[in-house]
Amino acid sequence: MIKKSLGIALFTACFLFALCVGPALSADSVKIGILGPFSGSLAFNASEMKKGMLLALEEVNDAGGLFGRQVELVYGDTECKPDKGVGAVKKLLTRDEVLVVGGGYCSSVNIAASQIADMEKCPVVVAIAISPTITNRGLEYVFRTSPNSPMFLNGINQWLEKVKQAKTVAFFMENSDYGRDGEKIWSELSKKIKAKELAHLYFEIGDTDFTTQISKLKNLNPDVTFNIASTTEAALIQKQAKELNFVTQWIGVGGQFTEAYFKMTGPISQYAMGSSLEPTLNMKSPETAAFVEAYRTAYPDSRPGIFSSQGYDNLKVILDAVQRAGEPTGDLQQDREKIKDALEKTDMKLTQGRITFEDDGQVHSVVPSVVQVQLENCEPELRIIYPEDRATADYQAPQPWRERECQ
Amino acid sequence: MTPRTTRRLLTAAGLAAFFTLPLVVTDRYFLHILVMTGIFAILTSSWNLLTGYAGQLNLGHAAFYGIGAYTSAILATRLGINPWAGLLAGGLLAAAAGFLLGIPSLRLSGPYLAITTIGFAEILRLVAMNWVDLTRGSLGLYGIPPLTPIPITSNVSIEFTSERNFLYVLLIVLLLTVWAIRRMIRSGFGVTLKALRDDEVGAESIGVDTARFKLTVFTISAFFAGVAGALFAHYQRLISPDTLSLGETFAILTMTMLGGLGTLTGPILGAVILTFFSEWLRFVEDMVKLDVRMVIYGLLLIVTIRFMREGVVGLLVKLPWWPKTLGKGGSDGR
Amino acid sequence: MDSLFLQQVVNGLIIGSVYSLIAIGLTMIFGVMRISNFAHGDYAMVGAYVAVFVMMWLPGPLGWVNALLAAAVIVAVAGVVSELLIFRPLLDRRTDIDMIMVSIGLFILLENLAQFFFEARPRMLADPFGGNTVDLGLVSTSQLRLFCLAFSCVAIAGLQVFLNRSKTGIAIRATSQNSRAARLMGIDINRIYTLTFGLGSAMAGIGGVLYGTLFAVYPTMGAIPTLKAFVVTILGGMGNIRGAIFGGFILGVAETLGGSYLAMEYKNAIGFVIIILVLLIRPQGLFGQREGV
Repeated sequence: MIKKSLGIALFTACFLFALCVGPALSADSVKIGILGPFSGSLAFNASEMKKGMLLALEEVNDAGGLFGRQVELVYGDTECKPDKGVGAVKKLLTRDEVLVVGGGYCSSVNIAASQIADMEKCPVVVAIAISPTITNRGLEYVFRTSPNSPMFLNGINQWLEKVKQAKTVAFFMENSDYGRDGEKIWSELSKKIKAKELAHLYFEIGDTDFTTQISKLKNLNPDVTFNIASTTEAALIQKQAKELNFVTQWIGVGGQFTEAYFKMTGPISQYAMGSSLEPTLNMKSPETAAFVEAYRTAYPDSRPGIFSSQGYDNLKVILDAVQRAGEPTGDLQQDREKIKDALEKTDMKLTQGRITFEDDGQVHSVVPSVVQVQLENCEPELRIIYPEDRATADYQAPQPWRERECQ
Repeated sequence: MTPRTTRRLLTAAGLAAFFTLPLVVTDRYFLHILVMTGIFAILTSSWNLLTGYAGQLNLGHAAFYGIGAYTSAILATRLGINPWAGLLAGGLLAAAAGFLLGIPSLRLSGPYLAITTIGFAEILRLVAMNWVDLTRGSLGLYGIPPLTPIPITSNVSIEFTSERNFLYVLLIVLLLTVWAIRRMIRSGFGVTLKALRDDEVGAESIGVDTARFKLTVFTISAFFAGVAGALFAHYQRLISPDTLSLGETFAILTMTMLGGLGTLTGPILGAVILTFFSEWLRFVEDMVKLDVRMVIYGLLLIVTIRFMREGVVGLLVKLPWWPKTLGKGGSDGR
Repeated sequence: MDSLFLQQVVNGLIIGSVYSLIAIGLTMIFGVMRISNFAHGDYAMVGAYVAVFVMMWLPGPLGWVNALLAAAVIVAVAGVVSELLIFRPLLDRRTDIDMIMVSIGLFILLENLAQFFFEARPRMLADPFGGNTVDLGLVSTSQLRLFCLAFSCVAIAGLQVFLNRSKTGIAIRATSQNSRAARLMGIDINRIYTLTFGLGSAMAGIGGVLYGTLFAVYPTMGAIPTLKAFVVTILGGMGNIRGAIFGGFILGVAETLGGSYLAMEYKNAIGFVIIILVLLIRPQGLFGQREGV
């Protein structure tokens, strides 16, 4: 039977070989690989990132491309699963032969994918993902254009230390590197400000029923509840907290504050806090204002959010480095090396602020602000409350549900 | 040409093709696809032994795969144990788990067994998610070493970091798996298995020790799945709890059903067809901008069970030029 | 008893009532036709999407009531169609394996069709009670949650009355107990099959609307109800309706209490641990014989 299996396998292999010999992309374009969870539960956020990238792509291609050649983005769908991400990045590197890989989203995928890219000596520039691990392993070819979690949480930590001074805290985290990294940082901070840690609870991505956990939290009654979650889970937690009549100061990373989140929660999300780089909040900077303007013209139906601006910045940085590296010679190894060298010298002002890389490949010059959801005519709005020099509103302490006007 | 010669010629050609294909192919991504196909072929073959031959519906096969992967990865990253030993350890631990899962199966069948096996895999996945000190949780284990090079002479050795060399290891393991399964079903054991599958009560009444047979099949099937998992860990060099997900099991069973459940060649054929087909679809999807891959998977599974129960193998044997003595899936056909 | 314990019991009863509602259809279909339908939770998903679209046309509490009705009818039709096209042709195959596999195929198909047509973005169904909460001192909950509990109980009781009193209901029970004898008694078995499938999927469709209103509506939402419904069904004994009702409440409360007092991380595994134990000790389920309805 081995024999027949081999016979059949040979037959099929030959037949399928024809199918698999890949699509030759137009040879004279400059190819850049983009990773992202373009399908699955995070597809909506990935499409925001993509919209920002397409804006940057249009800018360069309308101006004649790079070196007289059009720039082409080749997408790799990671589904936010490390295994799938590895497959996708392998395809970009070995089949599509891209010069550099951008995009990202989902720390676990990027930790894996960047390791593969580094082994292949291809520069990878991560757009969205906050785990510090991505850039702290000493990998030479790995860069990141957005803040990591310690940077994201720095502002909140200062605020907690100087303003809030919570006595009791609880943790209610997404059971992932995203949640667990943040938990570690906040747990250290809690020890520093001598706040008592009442509970460490977790939930799984895709969970919808949080009543068990929230009931437990309500019983413990913490001043502050750290809650790292993505859009859907964060919104459902807010909703169920109301149903169970639980009041606390929710603090998250801020990634949950998307358009979809506010659609799902409405005024229920009042008082929730996080850290944010929302482009609409930083309109004082001319680069950000220009981006918001361009985005609204290109996509009149949607609101420019943090993911679209991070996607835009990411591709801008990559394009700039490819340009400075000089026209690709066709020797992939050499071209990728030159782009890596160019990336190290990046210095641009973009929507998130100034972008330069330190030795670890991490941008350290972008500083997020602390934001809180506050209501304007019962409509939720994000406002900067810290640091003082950027603040547009004062902190509002959460009120009991029955005393809130809008619900 | 006698059927015997045809068979021999096919075998020779098949073996030659299997072992030269990696040499001819230069496209590294294609090699990567071949590696993934090989890993799936081991998984589908071992799943088929349990479900196709012994009739024990196991919907938690990914658990064995995951146990093998995590065992070998943890041994290598934490204790520095040689990955080759890890392959064996992964297989053995998975086999032990298979034995354990076999115990409730002695009393269960159909939906009861299906849910128990799903539950087993789900519990293990949650352990992999939550035992962070050991498994790093959802982050997964990364930095897993590749298979250690085999020294030939003092300064020449075979490395396994390239897809090509790894593919040869995989082919050998696949051949071993198929050979072992073939030995089992060709022996008296196989006859008993079939009796067990077709009529368990009847088999018991003629004095077959069904318990012993079920446990043996569970253990062996799990062993090969565990080895496949360990191989995957040292190839991908990264694993995560997703390895244990229900989706992996569904992929395995779709491949097997498509190729032909209860045949030796079907599972391998199914793995080849679906892996390549989905790569091809990925390419088509990029062109038409539609995400239909999984929709087609679901349709394929339904259509296969409804209209071509014997799978692609069943179709092939109906072809006029197909050597008839090779039979409907050979001696093991349904 | 402290407030946390009471609160968790109430939470468990509420979610358990929705589990029961969905599981009853599964157990009925198994009882009558010996079909283990792994796509059952996807009928709930279809029901929830029907509600999403009905409420686009007709928002507010009135829309929600209409959504419940529409979901019941449309999902019943969808259930019958899938039974005729996919399950019935396989009824004479000897093994469970084909039936289970084909239902897994249907599960993959429905889930991905939903993803294809409705995108992955979750949607909310507006709470017909406007999110009003109920504070009972030791326990807090919402009007919606209490309604779900009451509604499930009424629907389950209604079904029981139908099965025990009406002629058709008795025919369904007879078929479930012994289909050959039922046929000899002049019962049109095919009609009973269609009816059972329609009724069972309608219950799942209604359950889906409740589930979607309590949580959210998204393409992959069917997987969890499917697994929970199987756990519930096995707990109560497959084919045993009364068992499924108790099984649902037991699972709901076991999850909330186990999550709260034992290990929150393993909340979703509690059901599996229970059924593995139950199957080892009492394979016919907690409630009596396997065959009865």
